[in-house]
Amino acid sequence: MSGHLQSQKIGPGVTFRWVQDSKFKHNRISVNWILPLDRNTVTQYALLPFLLRKGYQDCPDFSQLNKKLEELYGAFLSGDVSKYGQYQVLDLTMQAVDNRFTLAGEDLIGESAQLLAGLACRPNIQQGSFPAEDVQLEKQFLRDTIEAEINDKRTYALSKCRSIMCEGEPSAIKKYGYLEDVDAITPKTAAEAYERIMDQAAIEIIFVGSGDPAKAREIFAQAFGGMERHPISVGPTVTQTEAEKVRESVERMDLVQAKLVLGLRTGNLETQRQKTAARMMTALYGGTPFSKLFLNVREKMSLCYYCAARFDRTTGIMMVDCGIEPANREKAQGEILNQLHLLQQGQVTEEELASTKLTLKNSLRTVTDSLGGINDWYLTQIFSQNNISPEEEEREIESISLKEIVEAANKVTLDTVYLLTGKENR
Amino acid sequence: MKEIIKSQRLGEEYIQIEHPSGLTLMLYPMKGYSTAYALFATQCGSIDDHFKTQQDDSYVQVPAGIAHFLEHKLFECEDGDAFAKYAKTGASANAYTSFDRTAYLFSCSDQFKETLSILLDFVTKPYFTQQTVEKEQGIIGQEIRMYDDNPDWQVFFNLLGALYQKHPIRVDIAGTVESIAQINADLLYRCYRTFYNLNNMVLAIAGNFEVDTVLELCDQILKPAENIVIERTPVDEPLQVAQKRVEVHLPVAVSLFQIGFKGRSLSPSENFKGQILDEVLLEILAGESSPLYRRLYDKGLINSTFVGEILCGRDYISMLFSGESRDPDQVYEAICQEVAKVQKEGIDPETFARVKKSVYGRYIGMYSRVDAVAGLMVQADFAGIGVYEILDVLSQITKEQLEERLASIYQVEHSALSVVSPVQEQ
Repeated sequence: MSGHLQSQKIGPGVTFRWVQDSKFKHNRISVNWILPLDRNTVTQYALLPFLLRKGYQDCPDFSQLNKKLEELYGAFLSGDVSKYGQYQVLDLTMQAVDNRFTLAGEDLIGESAQLLAGLACRPNIQQGSFPAEDVQLEKQFLRDTIEAEINDKRTYALSKCRSIMCEGEPSAIKKYGYLEDVDAITPKTAAEAYERIMDQAAIEIIFVGSGDPAKAREIFAQAFGGMERHPISVGPTVTQTEAEKVRESVERMDLVQAKLVLGLRTGNLETQRQKTAARMMTALYGGTPFSKLFLNVREKMSLCYYCAARFDRTTGIMMVDCGIEPANREKAQGEILNQLHLLQQGQVTEEELASTKLTLKNSLRTVTDSLGGINDWYLTQIFSQNNISPEEEEREIESISLKEIVEAANKVTLDTVYLLTGKENR
Repeated sequence: MKEIIKSQRLGEEYIQIEHPSGLTLMLYPMKGYSTAYALFATQCGSIDDHFKTQQDDSYVQVPAGIAHFLEHKLFECEDGDAFAKYAKTGASANAYTSFDRTAYLFSCSDQFKETLSILLDFVTKPYFTQQTVEKEQGIIGQEIRMYDDNPDWQVFFNLLGALYQKHPIRVDIAGTVESIAQINADLLYRCYRTFYNLNNMVLAIAGNFEVDTVLELCDQILKPAENIVIERTPVDEPLQVAQKRVEVHLPVAVSLFQIGFKGRSLSPSENFKGQILDEVLLEILAGESSPLYRRLYDKGLINSTFVGEILCGRDYISMLFSGESRDPDQVYEAICQEVAKVQKEGIDPETFARVKKSVYGRYIGMYSRVDAVAGLMVQADFAGIGVYEILDVLSQITKEQLEERLASIYQVEHSALSVVSPVQEQ
């Protein structure tokens, strides 16, 4: 078990959270800017973590910054963008060995926090602009990142299906933004976008590690404390809960294997308990190597290497995906839906439920054994309005009954079928 | 035989036991962790395609992909599927096959004893029938198809095909749809009898578990293995590459590249220690703080996906650089120039000291993850060195040692470039 989460407000809309656990050898600090996903701002904002990662006023040069990180025993620093329901999250994350393992007793927690706070609060902005060369380069890399989405066909197909499902809703907006909006970004508009996120984002700083977070907390409180800000408040993601009709979409590329994705809605989930039941139902259906989909679509019918279901707690969307011979599409889709139908009819045993509970319990415990796992867990909690620990979730899982699982299955409706397949006559 | 190995640096220890059955046990209990991570591994990988034991009259040439196929098939037991058994304990289980090993793994938080007994049991009791072999051909066929569409996989194997002329490392680990069609139950048994001898295997466990539980189960389940000698036909691989450049077109947005420097392979333990040195070399040559990285980044020739790694095993070692680029040939040329320059001019002492510290810090981090510790134990055992020797090697590295290594192991002329570029529209 890991230590408990503690938190302290250190500025308007700025929270510092920490979990201290002596078993680790590193400390990880992440600064997260939470912003509403908006087609008009998403691309500008997506550029920011990469610009911030390049340097700051005390260390404006990219290579010098990287040398500094090496001096800090190979501290890891990254900037990236993620998406939780209707929110875009920009992050700067740093991880360094704990003071205990330094060769000359250096204070790496203090130095890491100083560096990260500097990168977050005192970027390379001169006369209202980021350096022109940096902006030009990072714009090109952002274009590459947006375009590289098609490289991994499985992820691409899942994301495409989600966008079709949530058309018109903020959740459909892509986290890195849009190619056609990259060009318009200038060194000046990028600096303005930075000023806006510092004014409006809900900021979550998360410290996980074996060291004492007090010094880091003090440094961040100083950096963020004096600001006058107008932060957003983070509310639940609003999405459609039931499918109206089934949307179908086919896309063709130069491929040998087809990717079939089914987007499903899990009904109106009013309580945390209902969400947990939906998550467990998804695991029973296609989340484990003994789930309905794995045992039937893969093992029995030998149609695919993977066939899995996943549940997004923030949107209540369930996705099922598999990679198949293009000719087997009907067969695979038929069996996926048949298995859902059987689950809805209650064809599920206490034994399957018990196994699924054990598996979920195990994955919750795995969360507490890694710094990244703990960080992501508590960040996710913010979006599901559910500030609970993995241990608390474990207890809830334990108490869910078979009846609740079948009820959850009966709320599921098929919304979208998306197929990415090879070109005809290939 | 039981040995306790301690590290002063980390203030930790692990136990190594030669079990009467022939199996090597490496046990690393870690305080404060919720999960235990186990790897049961054998030195049987995709490169083991031509072999015999002293009991066989002649060598056998097995179809490409058989080690991986065998890994899949072992999960099937006479009394049901291993995943179904794991389901009862909640463990998360999997397996992987690489070039020179196959490993069966689980992570569990509860019921460690039951889970370990499932692992020991199914790996030591093979059960294949013609019918189950055929079923697996469908599943693995789709796994291969998935890789066919995966540009990262393609760019990697095309590079190996260019670097190596004869070595079976140039063949896909999973084989081809055609080669796996030739696999039958008899061939699987022959592979199994040869490589799944306990004298050729290691059981490595890290995290939350009791050493006595492991010993008790091993005594109970494992039967003493016959002492067999595996004879593998050594590969007479020249240092010259097969091809300098290889390019294919796939649906990607920006070209992906992999550049490889084929190293001179020494003994398994020298390769393994060499790999640690080479990781430091990689950072010096092209790490994020290096002048080369900066030049390429500023010219927009590489982006943050650029990464260097060492590919190393029993009888092969190569230094690889990969990423996305608008002009992979320019990146290739620049890296070759840098290697030649450092070979000629030597390493800057300040850079050396900084990078050494950085790689050391990153290695320390590996000792706080249960999966990484188990993985290190398997690697170290197969290479015939101790788990803490890695840190010793790192702390004793000298600049001269690295210069010597760069001069004697890697040559610019023994390098190749692999590119996956976008599909050209007609």
